[in-house]
Amino acid sequence: MEEQIGILWHRWVNKLAVRRFPEMAVELTDVARSAALLYRALGGDPGVTVQAGAHTLHGARRSMLQRLAGSERKAGLAWVDSEALRLPSLIDVYPQQRLNRDAYFWLAALCACDHAPELSWPARNQTAVLAVIQDYPGLKARYFRLVDAEIARRPDPRKLPADEALLERSIREALRHPGSVTTWPVAVRPPHPVMLWLRPDAPAPQSAAAGETQQAGTAANIAQTDKKRRSAEHAQLPERKGGMMLFRPETIFSWNEYAKVEHDIEDNDDEDLAQAADDLDVISVARGGRQVAKKLRMELDLPAAAIDQTQLDGVQMLPEWDYRARLLRPAQCRITPILPAQTIAGILPDRLKRDQQRLKRQFEALALSRIRLKAQPDGSDIDIDSYIRQLASGSEERLFTDLRQRDRDLACLLLADLSLSTEAWIGSERSVIDVIRDSLLLFSEALSVTRDRFALYGFNSHERNDVRFHQLKSFDEPYDGKVRSRILGIKPAYYTRMGAAIRRATEILERQRSRERLLLLLTDGKPNDTDHYEGRFGIEDTRKALSAARQQGLRPFCVTVDQEAHGYLPYIFGKHNFIIIRKPSELPARLPLLYSLITR
Amino acid sequence: MSVTPLSRSAIQPNSIPVYIPTGNEIDIFESAYRNRLPLLIKGPTGCGKTRFIEHMAARLGRPLYTVSCHDDLSAADLVGRHLIGADGTYWADGPLTQAVRHGGICYLDEIVEARKDTTVVLHALSDDRRILPIDRTGEILQAPPEFMLIVSYNPGYQNFSKGLKPSTRQRFVSLAFDFPQTAREIDIVIAESGVERDTAKRLVTLVQALRSTAEHDLEAAPGTRLIVCAAKLIASGHDARAACRVAVIECLSDEPETATALMEVVDAIFGD
Repeated sequence: MEEQIGILWHRWVNKLAVRRFPEMAVELTDVARSAALLYRALGGDPGVTVQAGAHTLHGARRSMLQRLAGSERKAGLAWVDSEALRLPSLIDVYPQQRLNRDAYFWLAALCACDHAPELSWPARNQTAVLAVIQDYPGLKARYFRLVDAEIARRPDPRKLPADEALLERSIREALRHPGSVTTWPVAVRPPHPVMLWLRPDAPAPQSAAAGETQQAGTAANIAQTDKKRRSAEHAQLPERKGGMMLFRPETIFSWNEYAKVEHDIEDNDDEDLAQAADDLDVISVARGGRQVAKKLRMELDLPAAAIDQTQLDGVQMLPEWDYRARLLRPAQCRITPILPAQTIAGILPDRLKRDQQRLKRQFEALALSRIRLKAQPDGSDIDIDSYIRQLASGSEERLFTDLRQRDRDLACLLLADLSLSTEAWIGSERSVIDVIRDSLLLFSEALSVTRDRFALYGFNSHERNDVRFHQLKSFDEPYDGKVRSRILGIKPAYYTRMGAAIRRATEILERQRSRERLLLLLTDGKPNDTDHYEGRFGIEDTRKALSAARQQGLRPFCVTVDQEAHGYLPYIFGKHNFIIIRKPSELPARLPLLYSLITR
Repeated sequence: MSVTPLSRSAIQPNSIPVYIPTGNEIDIFESAYRNRLPLLIKGPTGCGKTRFIEHMAARLGRPLYTVSCHDDLSAADLVGRHLIGADGTYWADGPLTQAVRHGGICYLDEIVEARKDTTVVLHALSDDRRILPIDRTGEILQAPPEFMLIVSYNPGYQNFSKGLKPSTRQRFVSLAFDFPQTAREIDIVIAESGVERDTAKRLVTLVQALRSTAEHDLEAAPGTRLIVCAAKLIASGHDARAACRVAVIECLSDEPETATALMEVVDAIFGD
């Protein structure tokens, strides 16, 4: 009973306190693609993706009711960092859906035109606003509509203390007449958050506590539910000593100031935990020690770890692209070639037999793609050109055209992602690795019908000194039972250092003499590893490795089952050099057909 | 056998098409013409390659023979072939042979699309020999000083395995075209369509914004031609947003999602 009254009170007071319009809300997921395109079109960095940003604690004065309800402490604001354009996950502060939607595009445009980040917050925003409305008249009209709505929802200066009222009036003036406010009054409290401006302070990078390595991540689930980012910082795990209690007892039972969270992704069966994480201002990630039982799946705004740049020794060393330094650092990754163990011949699993038969028939047709040859001594049709020549001069004797088999001079290297994330399940029956395994088998079956030369390799990595490159079938080996049993034996492990694997595959493919050389990458997600190789770093390095492959005359193509690949793959591979398989279970049957399309 | 239709146009010297230069390309062209050097022009689609050549041909007073190359274009289509007439067969010159005979300018657009054997007939024409051997008639034509060979291609969407061979490429003086600078592009739009300067300026802002997304979201960067089309529609009274939709956005993408996203860029510039 007591609890129910509490819930009712919470709802009622929230409804009164919160000036939001949930029925008019617009979610980031609905506009993310368009907002990202607008951001790029207006000159934003094409390498960043659009992501939901953490809500920012603003520290401004709240109304009596809001304090009573314990709400409105945070605001969804926009900013750009090296990884992403961060927009609020939901905008519902304006009374019309159109305004909330326009606010997203306005923020994307503002981030793209933020040309003077060195200025103070008000000056910087006014400069950016001016840049947008001068160059883009369509946004100008929208901006002033948004300003009206923004001012309507802002606190009334007459009800504020003198210093805050002055500040509030300046903000209103700066919104209405951008560029006009050059002196900024000082107030004790920060102003009410300005939804149409950038976040006052982008999160400052801090060096991560070095020392213990983080525990290897566990397999990721494909469907990701909670995509908000939370402000995060590394913290030392407070050691529990006996003696004095340093905290007030009533806080013990709350979701306390540090939570042990895995960086990777786990089951999220407890929504309260997610809610609690939303309510925390900064989540401290402690390194070392045991993992908490309840794990939360989320991405953290962790400051980038310092990069270890020492060169490594070894036989097969590969460089890596450091996008921050714009430098290809030599000998950064050590390749560990994993050669196949001696195995007995394997057979194709029965469930694939039907697909195999069908693909074989289809690929026989592909192998027989024919070309009409003119001026043949013998053939199926009369060659009119030759016939006219014969009539004209009487010397022509080769009067026929013939259909001949086309000469396909093609080498294909298929590179499969064998990282641990492929252990994730698709639906309830199969995991990604099962799908990759079947795909490799059917692909090989289909290609063994054509005369195209092909090789199969797999890769995974455990930091830069151990990039494992598994040989399943080299170009010189025939596709037989042994190869089949190697494919059946693949097991996922570790991470995805994609750039290094592509460079290694490029080296192998380069040695092939074929006229057309195809590098086909089969993956389930972004490049990542446990060290600095994640996010933008991995993406830029992979992009660099691919552009090097193209310069060697290779043709890279990516097949992925990551449904969110639209955000990053066009940047890495180019718009037309990848495909997202919507239903991963269809991949085994579709991959060979896709191959026939690419190589046609 | 199918006879491939060729697009040919012989422009009269008394009507010089408008061309607003972006650099010293007119000087280079004229020097190449005087020194009997063949010319290669590369650049993205819709940046004014063809217009430039039409302008120069008219300026120099030479007939222009334009051939749009495609993947079925053979050497015979360029040089000529025997045809059957009322009195038996006769020889018909192809556009290249005609240009050589009449001292014209032969322009092979998108040369990389043509079949491999076509580039070989160009070899003897494009070095200092300047001859065109016609195998089928046994004739060897010596090109007159007025003859000029021009080829163009678009490095952007160049088909894989379809580059220009170095042995061909190294015979040409090469001009690289790119999209014009802002001010010049505005002038071009005004000159071509007659829209007001403000509209032209907005259209150029639009095309430049779209170009910066090209690598990520589009097949190829949009050319000046697209906004000239939109400007013409606007000049004949169409709403700017609608004109941009049909003349620019729908030409860039067939995916409804991408088109919607691209329309946001249009709205940022032409919205109210």
